[in-house]
Amino acid sequence: MLELRDVCAGYGGGDVLHDISCAFPAGGSWCVLGPNGCGKTTLLRVMAGLIPHRGQVLLDGEEISGMKRRQLAARVAVMSQVNTVYFPYTVYDTVMLGRYQHMRRGLFGGPAQADREAVERCLASTGLAELSDRPLNALSGGQLQRVFLAHTLAQDPDVILLDEPTNHLDVKHQVELVDYLHRWCADGKHTVVGVLHDVNLALRLSRSVLFMREGRIVRAGDFHDIADAAFLRELFGMDLAGFMRNSLQTWQTVRDG
Amino acid sequence: MKRGTKITISIAAGILCLLLGMGLGSVFIGPGDMAAIVKSKLTGAPLPEGVPAITSSILWQLRMPRAVMAFLTGAALAASGAVMQSVLRNPLASSYTLGVSSGASLAAAAVILTGFTLPMLGGYTLVLCGFAGGLGTVFLAIGLSARFDRNLENTTVILTGMVLSLFVNAVLTLLTAFSREHLQQLIFWQMGSFAGQSWRNCGVLVTLVVPGVLLLTRFGREMDLMTFGEEQALSAGVELKRVKFMLIALAALLTGSAVAFVGVIGFVDLIAPHVVRRIFGGSHRLVVPMSALFGGAFMVLADLVARTIASPVDLAVGAVTALVGAPFFAWVYFGRRRGERRA
Repeated sequence: MLELRDVCAGYGGGDVLHDISCAFPAGGSWCVLGPNGCGKTTLLRVMAGLIPHRGQVLLDGEEISGMKRRQLAARVAVMSQVNTVYFPYTVYDTVMLGRYQHMRRGLFGGPAQADREAVERCLASTGLAELSDRPLNALSGGQLQRVFLAHTLAQDPDVILLDEPTNHLDVKHQVELVDYLHRWCADGKHTVVGVLHDVNLALRLSRSVLFMREGRIVRAGDFHDIADAAFLRELFGMDLAGFMRNSLQTWQTVRDG
Repeated sequence: MKRGTKITISIAAGILCLLLGMGLGSVFIGPGDMAAIVKSKLTGAPLPEGVPAITSSILWQLRMPRAVMAFLTGAALAASGAVMQSVLRNPLASSYTLGVSSGASLAAAAVILTGFTLPMLGGYTLVLCGFAGGLGTVFLAIGLSARFDRNLENTTVILTGMVLSLFVNAVLTLLTAFSREHLQQLIFWQMGSFAGQSWRNCGVLVTLVVPGVLLLTRFGREMDLMTFGEEQALSAGVELKRVKFMLIALAALLTGSAVAFVGVIGFVDLIAPHVVRRIFGGSHRLVVPMSALFGGAFMVLADLVARTIASPVDLAVGAVTALVGAPFFAWVYFGRRRGERRA
């Protein structure tokens, strides 16, 4: 369970988040929706301990700012957009890096049998087993994203925070990624909190939604209970529901062929 | 080819380079003679027939310390180059481009000119001042870039480093111009040279380079994670600030101390890591030690060229590495642009 109590945070130039309180019990997924600049990404960064905050961010009751990086990393992982790959690591090595906080340290430290098994499992479950010796710069965008998913899974966290991980992907890979994570937290032990620009994709990840505006949570709960056309129009500054209905009409006229 | 085979071949090639560096020159000394001379020096056994005493002196007093020094210097520069590239996530970053080298040389020049010695640590004065100068410059570069650019983009850091480096070099040139009696020494030293190295200097450098490279290797996995981005590294469990500071300080120590002894030698720190990554992939647990090996071997060969090609004139080794390095630098930069991959 990840819980925020009266959290304020920002970047030197003033607060971006104001008095955020919310809770994410284990075994579910959530998505955070709101217009650009509403503080969605900042919220994720606070939960990942990447930027300092006031108030409390509690992981199973324990304040995260007191934890060592390794402790936190063993429980919370962040998956963001694919960054530029500078050096030719192999797929296997990249996924193994996800085991960093589990590995023995020191000059002669390194992966144990358990780490190798975990990596094999993650490679298999993301369909990368055959690519494991390929260098990253020889992969397609979709394959690369799966490598980062496997890397995140290898970290074996309780919580995965998604920060726009689908930006460079085509539709098929976007849906695959979201569906995979949806299943991942269906076991009751894992949690996913996602920031996705694509509202449809976000709702595919989860019907539990936090709506944010200007650094505050304005509504939270099941999408159908809390969202109505007027609210969405006001929040996004456009007739979102109308737009979606329009698109749906277009799709309904596509022949099955 | 398997990793193990590649490593074995690399080590053998490194040893071969060292043997060449010690054997070739005005007098050729074969490996057999070398072994005999070293044995006689270490155990006091008499030299075998046919090995003149002068050959023994050439090897033991001139060529061996020179080659060992070249190897250690190349290793130090290359390992720190590999670290700078990954910490700043830029293939063009190096201690040289960040101003570590010029900062170290300014400090070292000041020591040479003033004849200043640290109490208690006489033998390490030059090294420690070089280190301090190098570290000072790199942190000044980072500090200044933080002022220009709040996000501390790596390009800003590198550009600032280059500007700072040029500025410090200008100060050094002025210093040189105003001190006629040390002119020759300073100019030659600015180009880098292994002439006149002693076993004592080797001893000082080896105590820094070996533990330094091992320690950097130990942080290989942290560096791997850092190349994927700082937030990635943090969320994967790296104590980023501490590790980053330590890595930069260690890289500056290696470069600074090498520069303090032999002067400014560019490009090795840039070339070696790139070649090594081509052969061994990206993993820093291999890249760091293998860069050290490659840089060391390359430096021994560069020095061999520097002292034999225009014999008896000793060329500046920095000129030799730059002759090879400048085209390589261009190739890395423009080659990368042409082959720009997806983001």
